[in-house]
Amino acid sequence: MVWDQDKEATKDNYASQTIVLDQILHELDTLNIEQKNNQRFRVDVSAEALPALLSLLKGRAGYTQLSAISCVDWEDEFELVYHLWSYETKVLVSAHIRIQYTPAVYVSVYDIYTPAGFFERDIYEMYGVYFEGSPMMEKFILTEWHGPAPMLKSFDTLKYVNDMFNWQEYQPDWLKEIQAKGGKVVS
Amino acid sequence: MKDVIPIQTNNTETIAVSKNSKNIYQQAIDTFSNFCRARSLFVLHYCTGCGAIELPPAMTSRFDMERLGIQPMVTPRQADILLITGYVSIKTLKRVILTYEQMQGPKYVIGICSCTVNGGMYWQSYATAKVLSEYLPVDMYIAGCMPRPEAVLTGLQQLMKKIEKGEANSWENYFKRYDYYLGNQQHLFGDTWHTPTDILEEARHYHLYGAESTGNNTARLIKYTVEHDLTKLDAPLREKDSMTKRGKK
Amino acid sequence: MRAENYQAVTHPESHEFELNFGPNHPGIEGNYALKVRVNGDKIVAAKADGGYLHRGFEKLMEGRLWIQNIALVPRICVPDPVPMEMCYALGVEDLCQFEVPERANWLRVLQLELSRIAAHLFTFGGHAATVGMYSNMFWGIADRDLILDMFEQMTGGRVYHMYTIPGGVRRDVGVEQLDKISDLLDYLEKRLSDYDNLFFNNKIFIQRARDTGILTPKQALSWGVTGPNLRACGLAFDVRRDDAYLCYDQIDFDIATETAGDALARNLVRRKELAQSIYIVRQVIDYLKKDKSTHIRCQIPNPLAWKVPAGETYTRVESSKGELSFYIVSNGGEKPYRVHVRGPSSMHAVQVLEKLVTGGRLEDVAQIMFSLDACPPEVDR
Ligand code: SF4
Repeated sequence: MVWDQDKEATKDNYASQTIVLDQILHELDTLNIEQKNNQRFRVDVSAEALPALLSLLKGRAGYTQLSAISCVDWEDEFELVYHLWSYETKVLVSAHIRIQYTPAVYVSVYDIYTPAGFFERDIYEMYGVYFEGSPMMEKFILTEWHGPAPMLKSFDTLKYVNDMFNWQEYQPDWLKEIQAKGGKVVS
Repeated sequence: MKDVIPIQTNNTETIAVSKNSKNIYQQAIDTFSNFCRARSLFVLHYCTGCGAIELPPAMTSRFDMERLGIQPMVTPRQADILLITGYVSIKTLKRVILTYEQMQGPKYVIGICSCTVNGGMYWQSYATAKVLSEYLPVDMYIAGCMPRPEAVLTGLQQLMKKIEKGEANSWENYFKRYDYYLGNQQHLFGDTWHTPTDILEEARHYHLYGAESTGNNTARLIKYTVEHDLTKLDAPLREKDSMTKRGKK
Repeated sequence: MRAENYQAVTHPESHEFELNFGPNHPGIEGNYALKVRVNGDKIVAAKADGGYLHRGFEKLMEGRLWIQNIALVPRICVPDPVPMEMCYALGVEDLCQFEVPERANWLRVLQLELSRIAAHLFTFGGHAATVGMYSNMFWGIADRDLILDMFEQMTGGRVYHMYTIPGGVRRDVGVEQLDKISDLLDYLEKRLSDYDNLFFNNKIFIQRARDTGILTPKQALSWGVTGPNLRACGLAFDVRRDDAYLCYDQIDFDIATETAGDALARNLVRRKELAQSIYIVRQVIDYLKKDKSTHIRCQIPNPLAWKVPAGETYTRVESSKGELSFYIVSNGGEKPYRVHVRGPSSMHAVQVLEKLVTGGRLEDVAQIMFSLDACPPEVDR
């Protein structure tokens, strides 16, 4: 299986892609497609419909690669973005869903896309969003961290750092000279 | 957790290598062994952060550390120098401390990169330790982001000079002021922090046991080991500790 | 440990024991650990343990100005930092709708490809060391250093350049410099045959690497592997061609593939990519010499009060390890609202590494890790 690039064929692909996505749109009514450019589509979908959309995209439209799952903390809800890439049509679809803040729980898509395991674990560590059915929910990066989920907007790193760490004094001569002339360190 | 640790730079006390107390043969042997020591240094092969990428060039044919008698070594027990190459995340710092305690004295710590001095680029990060010398006695810092191989080599040469003069003794501080270092470690890792190495016992072995070796923090460590029935670890500790207390009276 | 602390281990019936492979281990790439369960020297199970290099990048970026982040991003991947800058710059340009001058794009390609050569030299130098062939490691690192010299002359930094900024590049590259680079390319091209003799055609290497850590195309696809590791299974996917950015659509190059999918094939792909990258850099040099424009940067707003319009964008770049992508969200403020970094190694350094190592032998762990070109700082961020 080698994906060759034939410029004409690719253009046709982009056109046919819109058709495929349109068809899927008809099957799922809670869908909103926006085309950003030839190779980027944004899809807004309700949280319940996402697994169905992903399996349709993978099974019918050839979106075999899950490039990433990104999580955004909007302070009252979480946004999860699933970036899917099709090797054949060379189009990237980003599916956006919103889930509630507490309790932050969603279903795992590990059964559809294996790489999801890594991203879901990562999001669980960093945001505390739990994915039901994901096989790898134990900690990976923050195994020795006991504080709150650090990527939440409510977690203030600066305050944490100032509470936790000391700073070394640094008073070189050149700085003293400048200070004697009335200069100061701007922070 | 306690809120404030008083900042003390570990260089406040100069360690008296009291040459006067030694006789002339001892002095000669010391000078000779320092001379030899400075010429065969083994660097522990542990990359803690991004500064490690400049070590392969420094070690291999272009800059060639080996012409100075410095070689990478893979086990901590046989290494002399612990190079902290860049930021240490808290998870790494635990391993670094365990590794450091396994090394045999005399041992030297070099903090490469600005991140080891004061947090550097990651001063704001919740995951990295900021001032390395709070947790380990550091002999020398090589600042830069990242320091070039030439800088690393110059730093190592300066360390060699220091060793030759018998001045690179900050490893003794770890035993003399274990309470201070342990306190900072506990502040970061929690009160249950303990390592398999019995530092106080080793301090006695090296005749470096001093007034600041024990204190509130070591008491906490001992209490923890007693509570968790790590009796094998704590038995000699408790015994000797009470002995010194008696001795003080 | 003191003598009285030692307790004799009573052997379980299975004779299995757990070994911590790393973080302080000469065979591990970077600061990373694998917990392996071994029976004799056969690996029964493996579990990756990361986070030793975690700095909380994504959080740090939320707390800094757009312009400050330029200095922060290259540190995500240490051996190959240029794609990180590139990907960030592409994202910000997309949000701000910058028109980047043509010359800047070609200068960026120059940087990207040189960085790829450097990273590949480093990787197979490392791989050679894991099979006991140290001279190749010495060569690889010394040759990489020559490229770092070029970087230094062009950008002022050896490893981290901060050369690519949103809107263009920081400096132009003169004709003299380009001549120096093409001399270096001549030298590297000559060296390639030396590398072939010393390493790629070496029986020791071939016998160790062949059939080690085999990845089938199906597995590679389902585990989300990208980059040289995917191409080593015969699947020709390259972000440079398929999701073209900069001026890669005007450049002629082949996508190197192999079919075996083992450690040997992965290295051969890198070896072919070296030749391809040299070929690309040659084209770039030709272009830059012909091109007489001096426009290398578009107008950027006052960096201290730079507000990027609200929006979100997903940008991808082919780094030497695979597909690197940034998801950048802006709410119209002076700082990014959210940046998600998808390091290519996060796919093959965790799940894939665990699976490939299992069932193999202990001495192959380091080899497999280097052949996959796992880069722990990208995983931990
Ligand atoms: S000082 Fe710079 S190069 Fe060194 S660890 Fe810190 S960020 Fe990395």
